[in-house]
Amino acid sequence: MDHQIKITNASAGYGGHIVLHQVDLMVQQGERIIVTGSNGSGKSTLLKLIAGTKTATKGSVEVLGYQMSKSSSRQAVTKRIGILTQVQTDPLIAITVEEHVLLGLWGTSFSWLRRPSGEDRAKALRKLELVDMDTLADRDIRTLSGGQRQRVALACALVRDPQLVLMDEPTTYLDTDAKEDILFRINELQKELSFTSIMVTHEMQDGIKADRTIRIAHGSLEVLG
Amino acid sequence: MMQMLIEALRIPVIRHAFLGMLVAGATLSLLGVVIVSLHLTAIRFTLMHVGLFGAAAGMALGFSPTVGAFTVVILASLVMGMLAKDKALSASSISGLFMTGSLAGAFLLLASTGVPAMQVFDIFAGNILMLGTQDLWLTVCVALVIVATFIIAFREIQLVLLNRELARTLGVPVDKVMVMLFLLLGLGIATALRLVGALLVDAIILLPGIAALRFARSFTSALILSVLFGIATTMGGFLVALSFNLPVGASAAMVATLLLGCSLLATRILRI
Repeated sequence: MDHQIKITNASAGYGGHIVLHQVDLMVQQGERIIVTGSNGSGKSTLLKLIAGTKTATKGSVEVLGYQMSKSSSRQAVTKRIGILTQVQTDPLIAITVEEHVLLGLWGTSFSWLRRPSGEDRAKALRKLELVDMDTLADRDIRTLSGGQRQRVALACALVRDPQLVLMDEPTTYLDTDAKEDILFRINELQKELSFTSIMVTHEMQDGIKADRTIRIAHGSLEVLG
Repeated sequence: MMQMLIEALRIPVIRHAFLGMLVAGATLSLLGVVIVSLHLTAIRFTLMHVGLFGAAAGMALGFSPTVGAFTVVILASLVMGMLAKDKALSASSISGLFMTGSLAGAFLLLASTGVPAMQVFDIFAGNILMLGTQDLWLTVCVALVIVATFIIAFREIQLVLLNRELARTLGVPVDKVMVMLFLLLGLGIATALRLVGALLVDAIILLPGIAALRFARSFTSALILSVLFGIATTMGGFLVALSFNLPVGASAAMVATLLLGCSLLATRILRI
């Protein structure tokens, strides 16, 4: 079976405080996983383990075939995953929609003194078309609604053509219409692009489609269905 | 006006002041965009007070107050940048810690070493006409460091200002970029202290950045506008001071205030 994520007996925490205790999780290619749980239960820590921004204190975490205990593996995985965080409620930086999406390519085709190419910009525009934001490519993100900003962030998450998309509370702070809209787009794009996804959320909503729902409580994972 | 300026620039003291203000206006204002975008207004205020402690420490150790202020502000900005990694410590907490500590340190030094307080408090006023050749070169070096950093780490700074969580996941060394930005802030404030004094640092660094962000529609335009507003502030202030025989720092601060006031009004009227 083609597993994109294999977490075996992994523990993680902050300082001496263990948040995840000897958890196991296998995720197949193209699967849609929802992770729920109360605040501080370890949902975001699980995403950090998969993204490689946190390492397990015990056990093994393998993502896209790479052992995440190695720095070189984490770098390789970073290039193949997309991240969608909570919507930014009040961004202060002036930045155009196109530039925002383009930044999602950092560390792949450009970084530091290496500048983005015309192809990078074309790629950013193509992803904006996918979320129907291409006509607003030159707009400053500060002038957009929360729902529009989250569509731009989704395009930014997809600009690397990721095999795996990690979403951390992507509907938080959005109004009902915007929540429905972003969940609909995520579902449609997943069908079209066939990426594996893990969405962390504290509130289960009608629009969320999942193959499996996992609840984290007291540091353990429990499959709900 | 032009003739008067040309005449005045023949005098080395005024020429140094003019060049210092031009270079500072064109580069230190870039930091204003960072301060606003990262909510660091409290930190820059703290660094001004750290300058007072540095001036007192410098004099107590037999250096000039400017050298003391410059050194201590840069060291403090470096430590603040490293502390900013700790999520449990907010910018306000770091700010409170350093502001109280540095003020207490300054007053204790003044009381215990007999350093003349008025000379230390000169750091608040600054004196651009005392800018020597070495000071001018130092200002140029700081300006080059700031501009070079923005050129080399343009995208990385953009990402950190946009979304630190996203930047970290993409592989940007967020903590290092933050320390670098704090260090630049320390360098910028230490330089501005010498030019216009602690009380008017905002005129060169913060106000042009705020005005730029009102009009800007992209990060590049925000940086370009902050440079233009910074030059307008320092050069406008310099010309006003020269024409009406007024202090340069206060004149530049008044120009910056008017510039920001007009920007707020214009963006409101034009609904930008």
